[in-house]
Amino acid sequence: MSTLETPAPPPQPPAAATVRPLAKKRARPSEQLFKWLVVGLTAITMAMLIWLLTSVLIRGAGSISWAFLTDKPSSNPAKAGFNSALRGSIVLMMVTIFFAWPIGVAAALYLEKFAAQSATLTERRLRERLATGRVTGLGATWARTRLWWLRIRPRVVHLVDVNISNLAAVPSIIYGLLGLAIFVGVLGISKSLLAGGLTLAVLILPIIIIAAREALRAVPMSIEQGAMALGATRWQAVRRQVFPAALPGILTGTILAMSRAIGETAPLIVVGGVVYSTAVPSLNPLDAGNEALLAMPLQIYFWTDQPQASFQAIAAAGIIVLLATLLVMNLAAIILRNRYSKRW
Amino acid sequence: MTTNVDPEKTAKDSPIEIHLATGAADGGASPPAAGAQPGATSAEPSLGPPIFRLHDLGVWYGNHHAVKGVTMEVPKNAITALIGPSGCGKSTALRCLNRMNDLIPGARVEGRVLFGDEDLLSSDVDPVDLRGRIGMVFQKPNPFPKSIKDNLEFGMKVNGIKPTAERVEQALVDAALWDEVKDRLKAEAFSLSGGQQQRLCIARAIAVEPEVILMDEPCSALDPIATLAIEDLMKKLAERYTLVVVTHNMQQAARISDQVAFMTVEGTAEGNRTGVLAEVGTARQIFSAPKDPRTEAYITGRVG
Repeated sequence: MSTLETPAPPPQPPAAATVRPLAKKRARPSEQLFKWLVVGLTAITMAMLIWLLTSVLIRGAGSISWAFLTDKPSSNPAKAGFNSALRGSIVLMMVTIFFAWPIGVAAALYLEKFAAQSATLTERRLRERLATGRVTGLGATWARTRLWWLRIRPRVVHLVDVNISNLAAVPSIIYGLLGLAIFVGVLGISKSLLAGGLTLAVLILPIIIIAAREALRAVPMSIEQGAMALGATRWQAVRRQVFPAALPGILTGTILAMSRAIGETAPLIVVGGVVYSTAVPSLNPLDAGNEALLAMPLQIYFWTDQPQASFQAIAAAGIIVLLATLLVMNLAAIILRNRYSKRW
Repeated sequence: MTTNVDPEKTAKDSPIEIHLATGAADGGASPPAAGAQPGATSAEPSLGPPIFRLHDLGVWYGNHHAVKGVTMEVPKNAITALIGPSGCGKSTALRCLNRMNDLIPGARVEGRVLFGDEDLLSSDVDPVDLRGRIGMVFQKPNPFPKSIKDNLEFGMKVNGIKPTAERVEQALVDAALWDEVKDRLKAEAFSLSGGQQQRLCIARAIAVEPEVILMDEPCSALDPIATLAIEDLMKKLAERYTLVVVTHNMQQAARISDQVAFMTVEGTAEGNRTGVLAEVGTARQIFSAPKDPRTEAYITGRVG
């Protein structure tokens, strides 16, 4: 009986196919060299940054206090505060954003969503209208002007395209000269926070346009087409679907543009000069036209220009406040981007 | 006498087998030679009156003649499938029916597309209004990055339909999605699966009460289960709407459609490739007795 229970011999595993033996791990010196080169270069960058931050912190940390943030400027370094500069920068940013944001976003919307749209049908309709002879005089001239515009529009848009990128690379001091010539010279605005804010608005306009265009472009065409296939006009599709979807990206770009503007010194020096003022600017942006131009980087510049050593310490303290502001703004931009950006 | 196996369903569930939507497959086994039934297939009693009549429709993208000479009729309350190899212009032809080609810079459409008795390509027809009546579902589900409810309400709002809760529910019921989403209408549309997103897009199209729904390869981004759900839905929708469906899947065309138009690519003298309509007929005729040799070559799998 036991013979019946003898288990069948285990099936032989099939013999493996013959292949060449695997190569042993081998050293690759050029890989290593490249890796350490990159690490080294990164370390140099980081070391510079750390050195800058620590030297500023060592010199300025002692001067930072609540009083430093709330006191107005003074010729006595022990009593001098950063309050006016802080307020000046806040008002400056309000003015800048009030002018730069709507204009920049509108320009981006036009360039991205309307300038490139198909003109075939409009052209056909205008031609048909002219051919019937029903439109005469002014109407015909208007139709012909529109046809002409549609024909040259691609070239104009291309020109604008190229120049916006160029504008973003123009040195900021040039914007200062432009602001001085236009806002102070031509428009007769006093050398005030308003003139400074307008100048910074022109300065960051190309940055906002580029950022907003990128955010709009990141929204897939299928969203716009889906909306229009439901019977929405292009404006409805853009306003109700594309723009809201692009808004987090646009706001991120805007914050980054603002953090560029808040640290700008050169254009403000050109527009307003560095003047010693003990006035405390009002936080109401409507008064910006009457307030002397003062901002954090200007105050820091003014202090570093003073001979007394104690002014250097409060200049360092001012730099810490400015850097902290920048850090908060960039952090806000990162949070906004990570939290609301859509992955399509 | 309970039968667990419904022969109709079995055939439909098999993704490979060609199952004719129009009925028995007696002629399907052996494809007769082209022209074997002269005149017999031209009488199509089962198809309704035409809602679209295309006359010599052509599309240019710049200097590229993408589609030319498409002349056919699309029957009302039926499913017309546009099939053919890649690049034959079936999507391009479909996009003429609701003037979506207008949005492509450089695109030019010629010929006539009569909707009822009016040429919808005419320059005095308002394309925005037209698209409210001729809805479209795209290849890749494209819900708006908003809630399920917002997705449905947007189309209603732009078409001047009051977005009530009943209308939202009805559209979702009609798109066979209601049971899956009724407890989370405020949820993000992106939280749905691909198949659910596509049904949401169909619901969104239905919600604006169109007369025709155009579908551009609506299942190509979906798995077979989701595909079958959408196909069932299409057959149900055909009772109330006219459907024109582009598909590169012949089995799908065979399963769902009443009429089939086969498009193919022709090389031109300048070396361009232009899409042309090779043959149009009932699904049964096209799949069992194609008249054009190119159709036969395509459906028997010799090309494409």
